Amino acid sequence: MGKTKILIVDDELIMRESLADWLERDGHEIETAASGEEALERLKSNRFDILLVDIKMEGMTGLDVLKQVKTTDPDTAVVMITAYGSISTAIEAMKNGAFEYLLKPFDPDELGVLIEKIIHYQEQGRENLFLREAYKDRTRFESMIGQSPAMQKVFDMIRDVAPTDSTVLITGETGTGKGLAARAIHTNSPRSDGPFVIVNCGAFPEHLLESELFGHQKGAFTDAKVTKKGRLELAHGGTLFLDEIGEISMRMQIDLLRIIEDGIFYRVGGTQPIEADFRVIAATNRDLKEAIRQGAFRQDLFYRLNVISFEMPPLRERKEDIPLLAEHFLRRFSQETNKPVGRISREALEEMMLYEWPGNVRELENAIERAVVVGKERRIRPEDLPIFRGDAARSASDLSLKAVERAHIAHVLDKTRWNISKSAEILGIDRTTLYSKIKRYQIEKPS
Amino acid sequence: MNDPKGHIIQVSPLSDVDSPVLRQICGRISRIFGYNCEIRPLLQDIEFALDRERGQYYSTPILHRLADLAPAQALKVLAIVDVDLFIPVLTHVYGEAQLGGRACIVSTRRLKEQLSPANQLQTLTRRLVIEALHELGHTFNLRHCKDPACIMHYCRMVKDVDRKSDQLCRYCSILLSDEIDRVNAG
Repeated sequence: MGKTKILIVDDELIMRESLADWLERDGHEIETAASGEEALERLKSNRFDILLVDIKMEGMTGLDVLKQVKTTDPDTAVVMITAYGSISTAIEAMKNGAFEYLLKPFDPDELGVLIEKIIHYQEQGRENLFLREAYKDRTRFESMIGQSPAMQKVFDMIRDVAPTDSTVLITGETGTGKGLAARAIHTNSPRSDGPFVIVNCGAFPEHLLESELFGHQKGAFTDAKVTKKGRLELAHGGTLFLDEIGEISMRMQIDLLRIIEDGIFYRVGGTQPIEADFRVIAATNRDLKEAIRQGAFRQDLFYRLNVISFEMPPLRERKEDIPLLAEHFLRRFSQETNKPVGRISREALEEMMLYEWPGNVRELENAIERAVVVGKERRIRPEDLPIFRGDAARSASDLSLKAVERAHIAHVLDKTRWNISKSAEILGIDRTTLYSKIKRYQIEKPS
Repeated sequence: MNDPKGHIIQVSPLSDVDSPVLRQICGRISRIFGYNCEIRPLLQDIEFALDRERGQYYSTPILHRLADLAPAQALKVLAIVDVDLFIPVLTHVYGEAQLGGRACIVSTRRLKEQLSPANQLQTLTRRLVIEALHELGHTFNLRHCKDPACIMHYCRMVKDVDRKSDQLCRYCSILLSDEIDRVNAG
């Protein structure tokens, strides 16, 4: 995490200086303002974690500053300082959202403990946000697994790029683990103590993505009942992972380019520039160079993102990792479902090795999960795997006769919308035989 | 020694600190910072810093005066006093230093709290040595350290001082060495 930024607001120079000197020794980043007006001016271009505000000042009072700050940046902790220990002022300050109230002069221990408490509280708040993010995004595979040369190359790449602060573009098909690679870069980077914030650019329509990224001011649009921080702000001190970057609109591309270049942005409906320090990792399954040729992606943004880039290999190009991955998922899902499925049969594994896995690791993971859930034995059998269900991805030359027959029947049924008579006619068999084959191959009618 | 330019660290007692204690402080300073340490009086009267209302001495003006009076040879000066020190927003301080500057001060007043009768002098000497090194560390741009055993750890109470070692942690040692290289090169 970066340093804690503290703004001291006091109209007495001596107070500002001595407090600033004291707090600086704790390694905090200190700025001072001689009046409430100056403080608000600073807050327009800077973000602070903590504000230490003297209540009694010429012009704008500390309480006025507090009220203003709580509207624009409710997460900033404001500590009120006063030499006039009036309880009514203290109560009013606390009611208006002050974190704490200190009477001048205060015990150095008290100040140190308070600052630590605020930092801990804010970290916990951020952590809770990350946890919620992590829960929502609960990745379908926990860590990157692979002994194949293709994956070893990826691991080396991650180890090389993690310590730098460069922007990284990860390409690769759906389900290859681009998100995991991004997280691994973050975990191995100097920003690992900071947040890892994910934005799935393809999941939001443009106006929602804007608010999701930049946050919004209260009243910016009809539903903006409160001021909300965007993910860019949440990523401060950490890493921002822009997944499916190829899906964002041209307008958002312009905004993103500016943010990556300047590190400054505005909340929707806001006029104050907000500064955030984060590393950008982007990912896409699209061919961005082709998108540039088609005028769908900005070349300047591409160059900004493509400082370092690497591709996640598809599973079909690292089939040697399938047993390892399958074992890993089996252990995980048998634990999660509390089902004693201990192993994968040789036949099932052989089938898995022959399959093309167009959905990559995610598809394998889903297949094992399903097999564990629906399987009736202590081992996974070929028929427990959903990959035999009318898959077009597998080349016919790799399939057994039974599998070809099953796939063909499923395909015809699908085409006729499960009209049994019509399907039997196409297949050249009678209806009873078709029923018996459907049963034998466990072909299920889609709901 | 780190003194290609003949720099010294000057210890200036303003109170009756025993000579053996001062020599012990000087010895530790030389060992930790690598400069010769000399005991020389610099400032005799600090009444200008007395806040009569509080009955305490404002440490910041004392530091300014020390820095002004320090001879060119003195890279850093450390004053040792027995009066109670404060800075305006705080009720008291054990000591104060100019972060990355020349002067620092340490008071024995509050270090005398909770001394067991059995080994009063020994404990007080140890506390004084540690706090002197701590404040001097600030003049070498060292900030507070999270390691509770490191000299640069910020102590809330004297019992925290007693828990500290009289050594810098690995990180603070490296930062100090970088700073000394910078000072000697400058």
